[in-house]
Amino acid sequence: MSGFSNLINRSGFLRASAFGFGQIALTSMLAADDGKKTSAPMAIRSPHFAPAVSRVIFLFMHGGPSQVDLFDPKPVLARHHGKPLPESFGPVMTRRKVAANPLLGPIRRFRHCGESGLEISSFLPHISECADDLCVIRSCHGDSVNHPQSVYQMNTGSILMGKPSLGSWVAYGLGTENQDMPAFVVLPDPGGGIKGGPPAWGSGFLPAAYQGTPMRAGKHPVLHLAPAVDFPDDRQRRMLDLVRSLNRDHHQVRPYDSELEARIEASELAFRMQSAAPDIVDLSRETHDTRKLYGLDDSSTAEFGSRCLMARRMIERGIRFVQLYCGDTIGWDAHENVEKNHSALCLQSDKPVAGLLRDLKRRGLWDDTLVIWGGEFGRMPMSEQGVGRDHNPWGFSVWMSGGAVRGGLAYGATDDVGLRAVERPVHINDLHATILHLLGFDHQQLTWFHNGREERLTDVGGNVIHEVLA
Amino acid sequence: MRSFDSGISYVVIRVAVLAVLLGNAGNSCSQENNTGEADLEPPVTELDRTHWGFEPLRSVKPPEVSDPNHWCRNEIDQFILQRLQNAGLSPAPPAPRAVLLRRVTYDLTGLPPTPEEVRAFEQDARPDAWSRVIDRLLDSPAYGERWAQHWLDVARYAETDGFEHDLVRPNAWRYRDWVIENLNRDLPWRDFVRYQIAGDMLTHEDPAAVLATGFLLCGPDMPDLNLYEERRHNVLSEMTSTTGSVFLGLQIGCAQCHHHKFDPVSQQDFFRLRAFFESTEWLKEQPLSVSADPGMSNEKAAFGRVISEGGKQATFLKIRGDFRRNGLKVAAAFPRVLSAAENSQSDGRDLTRVQLADWLSSTENAAALRVSANRIWLHHFGEGLVRTPGDFGTMGSVPSNCDLLDWFASQLPLRHWSQKELHRLILTSSTWQQSSVSDSGQEQDPENRLLWRMNRQRLDGEAIRDTLLYIGGRLNRQMGGPGVRPPLPVEIVSTLLKGQWEVTSDEAQHRRRSVYLFVRRNLRYPLFEVFDRPDTNASCPQRSRSTIAPQSLALMNSQLSFDAAENLTNRILREPDRSDEAAVISAWQWCYGRTPSESETIMALEFLTQSPAPDRDQRLHDLCLALINSNEFLYLD
Repeated sequence: MSGFSNLINRSGFLRASAFGFGQIALTSMLAADDGKKTSAPMAIRSPHFAPAVSRVIFLFMHGGPSQVDLFDPKPVLARHHGKPLPESFGPVMTRRKVAANPLLGPIRRFRHCGESGLEISSFLPHISECADDLCVIRSCHGDSVNHPQSVYQMNTGSILMGKPSLGSWVAYGLGTENQDMPAFVVLPDPGGGIKGGPPAWGSGFLPAAYQGTPMRAGKHPVLHLAPAVDFPDDRQRRMLDLVRSLNRDHHQVRPYDSELEARIEASELAFRMQSAAPDIVDLSRETHDTRKLYGLDDSSTAEFGSRCLMARRMIERGIRFVQLYCGDTIGWDAHENVEKNHSALCLQSDKPVAGLLRDLKRRGLWDDTLVIWGGEFGRMPMSEQGVGRDHNPWGFSVWMSGGAVRGGLAYGATDDVGLRAVERPVHINDLHATILHLLGFDHQQLTWFHNGREERLTDVGGNVIHEVLA
Repeated sequence: MRSFDSGISYVVIRVAVLAVLLGNAGNSCSQENNTGEADLEPPVTELDRTHWGFEPLRSVKPPEVSDPNHWCRNEIDQFILQRLQNAGLSPAPPAPRAVLLRRVTYDLTGLPPTPEEVRAFEQDARPDAWSRVIDRLLDSPAYGERWAQHWLDVARYAETDGFEHDLVRPNAWRYRDWVIENLNRDLPWRDFVRYQIAGDMLTHEDPAAVLATGFLLCGPDMPDLNLYEERRHNVLSEMTSTTGSVFLGLQIGCAQCHHHKFDPVSQQDFFRLRAFFESTEWLKEQPLSVSADPGMSNEKAAFGRVISEGGKQATFLKIRGDFRRNGLKVAAAFPRVLSAAENSQSDGRDLTRVQLADWLSSTENAAALRVSANRIWLHHFGEGLVRTPGDFGTMGSVPSNCDLLDWFASQLPLRHWSQKELHRLILTSSTWQQSSVSDSGQEQDPENRLLWRMNRQRLDGEAIRDTLLYIGGRLNRQMGGPGVRPPLPVEIVSTLLKGQWEVTSDEAQHRRRSVYLFVRRNLRYPLFEVFDRPDTNASCPQRSRSTIAPQSLALMNSQLSFDAAENLTNRILREPDRSDEAAVISAWQWCYGRTPSESETIMALEFLTQSPAPDRDQRLHDLCLALINSNEFLYLD
């Protein structure tokens, strides 16, 4: 761990960490110059202790899926359907003043699934079949009833905009095994951007090299990935060789400017991405069987299925952290009609998600991959506009999966109606601490010095939930 | 508290803590008794007022410094040198003339100098050569186009509503043009502020002032919201929050639902400020008088996205910020912490929006002066004296030099509210003219807070695009008018609703300056987005600066880059001296604003003989493309 500590050593970091992705001749020059250990920002680094997993796929259900209709059965809520929330629950902070609205019973029936008997609703028939592989945390809670703040909190630990995201902390902590691709890739929903926007995968005060790089399906997974005009490879390479020489000379007289170094790296990465990125998103060489597993043969599941399959291809190729957004700008935000909204989103995502879990298993990726499923918050037990539900950050479900967590487990509980986490509550900081733990990090030690303070993903909170670890 | 095992105690504690945070412990458990919040308004204490950002401007004299090298050219330098000396540091040497000219030309106009301008300045032996350069650039219409973008970031300017439908605001651009025009004519800063708050009531001073009120209406809006009251509440509150952060550096928006957690700003303060805007009318674009828009005088009924004063409306504090829950009625008043105790009219009449405008631009309003001065400083140096330019409250950062900040802020009224005079003051200082290539203070002050050298700055997306068009001789310098929509990659357009990006039919329009490109709230122009242009959902006092691979891809592969390389090549090929050496020099001059060194010339000539491109013209094209992709092109020393 000592080498890593050196690296994190404040102002020295960027300067010392110059010129990532190997290959760049500057490294030796500057290493000699200041005599410090140098390390590329994207070089592979070891975590604090032996990790249980080395990569993460985060399936982000944008808009806030309803826990009481998917993973958190509430018979009491069903019985109280149409009645007001009992006064004993006290005042409830809500986004749209739904506190006095009648309760809305669970939309779908729950059933016991798998050997574990974990209860999942009929909204998710395919995921239900994987019940024994799910570790459902039913007692998550956050701090804001608003989308952007909650999107930020689930991603960065803070409801404020501009803090480093979980993926960027992981990229910072572990580097990337694939020198041709960024360590942290985001696959946005092509239907529309998320509420809160790109800061959700930003690197905040961490170096920009660690921020999420958005990619999409098709021939042009990244904008401007190929020259806009006919421009042969050998000409481009020769042109970029000249750029490298120019940049080297330019940087030589400005050795303390870490941003110039970062840009040299970014250019090199850009060049390599031109061939690496299309290959990663090219699903044509996947077998018919695999494509079917993810639902690529069905128009309702093909889009999200493609991205799930891309995610598997990415982690297979050494990308550390892949985040998929499921749900357009509105997503799971079922204010008007939970049945209608969740039917559509479950249809589009249920089979692909189950397919992903199965595929990870059969390819030997299961043991060291962590899959996370969840939104920025859940939904209220009270109704909105009759059959819809408002945002609920006070108690909601997130599940994890993979060989490193306990499958078939329901951890923690909300109250009788699913309003608040009451039993073994897991704050988002706790969830993050647990994820970092699985990756081999002590969340209190993975820090970055900023504005006079050692900043960390979990701020002043965070307890590892050891009971969910396999 | 998260470690409690008992769920019940956890919830109870959480509610209690929440109530404390809301500053409203007595009421949080009782829905019926909520109108009593006004009684609980926390007083602003003398201690609160001692925060540097809330204090009156101090009268500061530039310090006496020992300056044997005659480094100081003006007062700014005295302040800076004093701090450097205290830290045992010395300023960096002055930057060479070519570097200075490139720096200042981008700084004031967002464009690079031409080779001819560099040559002229390098050869100008007159003692006032530098002042002449500054005057020339400040007089250029490109100045307003450049500095308008800074203000438009702050004003969260966009030409659509945002949200799901993101409808076009057909006349929003008139506000953008008002900003450009009035920066160019150096409208006194005082009026620049006043007109944006109450220009509709000040047309006797300037008929066009009404256009400035577009500022208040630049924010996002959701016209399809079911409830008019909710929409109105959202727009008025957004207007209030933005006014607070833009003109006062006060995050007053935080006090919309509860008292500010850290600053002495109560929920009442928020709604008192909002009361100034309560009776404004803004639902529909309004017809402009001919005198407000002389350019359109031949056409009937030009419309503007402007405000007018409507029927009197009372303001009620909204309990927890909920528009359906009226609390006590409040009267318009300035935030208490920034104003003297007596801030209501002695005769009992309500304060008006004109009075707010006057107060926000008064010589007594220290917060407003500091915020404005800091913005000017920020855009010249890349960092403000206060590094949180939108928050001068207790959560903001502390000024790197309090004395200099107060002195510089005081210069705004003293120099006739002329923003151009403040530019001159900064640009003629030795501080600004330092070289950025120095490491003497690296160990002691790696963030360069004391300004022992100039900060190196990166071009933003707008400057990059303008430069690529400009060096190729293709930039269309037409000013003003509705936003232009150049073609976008199909994968970008496909994420929009149908018809949301109708390409402007006249191709010449596609080559207009970046400030004239259509600003769709839900879609940033890709090149600008990748280079950190802010979204327009909230005021952006300072852009972030990221360094990511997609930026390099855009410069390597976009049509814009290939066009620029081709057009620059053609320009070079038209020059009388057809030699390779002359071509290399010319390429360096256009892209870097300087002539190449000997070793660079050798490297470039070698490239021109060895590049795999099929002919000399294309090898030169590839050379130009390389320069465009290099760090020196993107960074200003």
